[in-house]
Amino acid sequence: MKGYRRYFLNKLLWLLVTAVFAFLLNFTLPRLMPGDPVAAIVSRLAQGMSNSTGMKAVYEQYATQFGTNKPIIEQFFLYVGNVFKGNFGSSFSQFPRPVIDILKSSIWWTVGLQFPAIIVGWIIGNILGVLAAYIRKGFDKVIMPVSLFISNLPAFGMAVILLVIFAVDLKWFPTSGGYGFDLIPEFSWRFIWSVIVHYQLPFWSIVLIAIGGQAIGMRSMSIYELNADYVKYARFLGIKDRKIVGYVFRNAMLPQITGLALAIGTMVGGALVAEIIFSYPGLGTTLLTAIQGQDYPLISAVTLIITVMVLIANFTLEIIYGLIDPRIKAAQSD
Amino acid sequence: MGKVMLEVNELTTKYITRFNEDVYAVDHVSLKVEEGKSLGIAGESGCGKSTLALSLMGYYFSPLHYTSGEIIIDGQNITGMNPDAVRKSILGNEIAYIPQAAMNALNPTQKIINFIEDVVQAHDPKVSKKEIYELARERFEVLGLPKEVLQRYPVELSGGMKQRTVIATSVILEPKILIADEPSSALDVTSQKMVIKMLRYMMEKGYVKAMIFITHELPLLYNVTDDIMVMYAGQIVEKGSAQQTVFDPIHPYAKGLMGSIIVPESGLKDSKLTAIPGTPPNLKKPPEGCRFAERCKYVTPECKRFPVDMKYVEGNRSYRCIFSEEHLRKAYQNG
Repeated sequence: MKGYRRYFLNKLLWLLVTAVFAFLLNFTLPRLMPGDPVAAIVSRLAQGMSNSTGMKAVYEQYATQFGTNKPIIEQFFLYVGNVFKGNFGSSFSQFPRPVIDILKSSIWWTVGLQFPAIIVGWIIGNILGVLAAYIRKGFDKVIMPVSLFISNLPAFGMAVILLVIFAVDLKWFPTSGGYGFDLIPEFSWRFIWSVIVHYQLPFWSIVLIAIGGQAIGMRSMSIYELNADYVKYARFLGIKDRKIVGYVFRNAMLPQITGLALAIGTMVGGALVAEIIFSYPGLGTTLLTAIQGQDYPLISAVTLIITVMVLIANFTLEIIYGLIDPRIKAAQSD
Repeated sequence: MGKVMLEVNELTTKYITRFNEDVYAVDHVSLKVEEGKSLGIAGESGCGKSTLALSLMGYYFSPLHYTSGEIIIDGQNITGMNPDAVRKSILGNEIAYIPQAAMNALNPTQKIINFIEDVVQAHDPKVSKKEIYELARERFEVLGLPKEVLQRYPVELSGGMKQRTVIATSVILEPKILIADEPSSALDVTSQKMVIKMLRYMMEKGYVKAMIFITHELPLLYNVTDDIMVMYAGQIVEKGSAQQTVFDPIHPYAKGLMGSIIVPESGLKDSKLTAIPGTPPNLKKPPEGCRFAERCKYVTPECKRFPVDMKYVEGNRSYRCIFSEEHLRKAYQNG
């Protein structure tokens, strides 16, 4: 257990170091965008105003309120302090709505969509992969090319294909939104049903891609493991094939856990795009409107949340990794 | 003569390659091992020793396929039995196997005790975990392994420990026959000695009734086994007692093989080491006649014409050559 504690502390330290850099980048990058958002707000508010001193006063007031007139270092520490208090400031584009408010209404849509989709895709993909490796023959000949094909489609490509086929042509599912536009969020069967119907296309567009990638990786890992000496030995001791497939599954799965961490990582780049295509009311859509409106408190808040989610997911997986693979622990305790 | 534990008659197995070619790596092999005896199988790399070990288990999976012949374990013919029945009632509890690469023979993500549980329960699901633990602990202690090993993962054991763990696990169900495929080839000399002692001890204790020991290290074979069989290109070329086969081989290949090693015995001090020129034949298209003819010093056109049968000679020995024993002896004396 001592080895494991050391492993845990080591990973925790890395989590903290990465988090610091994530904060720094999150703060800096949106501020490198050209254009002055305060000026944009002021010009919107001061439409028709001809008094330049008045406009200057309005500008100064907003600059003070947003803190954009302070040195950048001070702004950073203010930002970090506020983030820990849960205060992400006010949105520029939906001023004066607080950023935290916007996030609260969108984050659960994203979490509810992405995590189940990635996990389901990962599990189905791995099972198909190990079966393809074990059964071989016809099953493998179908799974393999299909997986290769769909795993190479970009997330938005898959989303568009599903959209055209099932929403536009067949009209089985709605084309966009998280629930019917004529409904208000409430605990009624009608609303829940509407959410479920709207959920399907974005969900499957992410699941299908995850299945493809995971199945390919799992298949080759399993073929490798099935030829390992321990499989032959276990067979000759009379252990049932089903049990041996279990051994193989566990060992082949280890690199796939890294794959899961990466899949959660690519949620940012790939799968958020699916949200945008279906106008799903999650972080992806919020991020898109924030970028269009040069709304950098909102942009940093969204990217920060995504980064933190990825960091936590990776950290959790590494901890699980240490628990299920004794070799990792052994290597760390040296 | 003791009770025959393992009898193999004309066993032939083949590999089917990716290109659907047949490779007969074990070709009409017959052997007999009596209770309390051990049989050594010698030969150079690629001669079919390891394939023979796999074939003897009576449980085949791709790319190895059964072709013909029979395997009789303690009077029970296991050829033609349903593979699942072989798995359940033969493998592990009648005939057990120690693999060539014991280093990688254990599942890296499983504790030793859990693996032993799987082995025991594969044959009898009713045995409780507690009983299995007691059995394993006792067996490990007898074989000089601390009981803590049971709670370890393979990665936490040294090479010698893993090897001994594999041996102890193989015999946990007290199989009648143990087939050891180069169990010591990856170990240093001290560990090798330990393994050999352990194998002998298991015979004495009665955990195994008979043993087949495969190695290319002839001195080891001479020290461990009662009888030795020499294989060449999938066939047996000579069979006899360990003493006779090592010090007085009849077949030209066996002669060459024994000449290429050092046996630390008096009287051999000044003999020279010799190598056998050439390489073994391709088993996809084995030669019609004697398979060793291409490399044999004493070859005649007659050798390559027809398949050669085993000749039985005095002292319970046999060899596969068209020449008589006297002829060969004379030829060896003349160099």
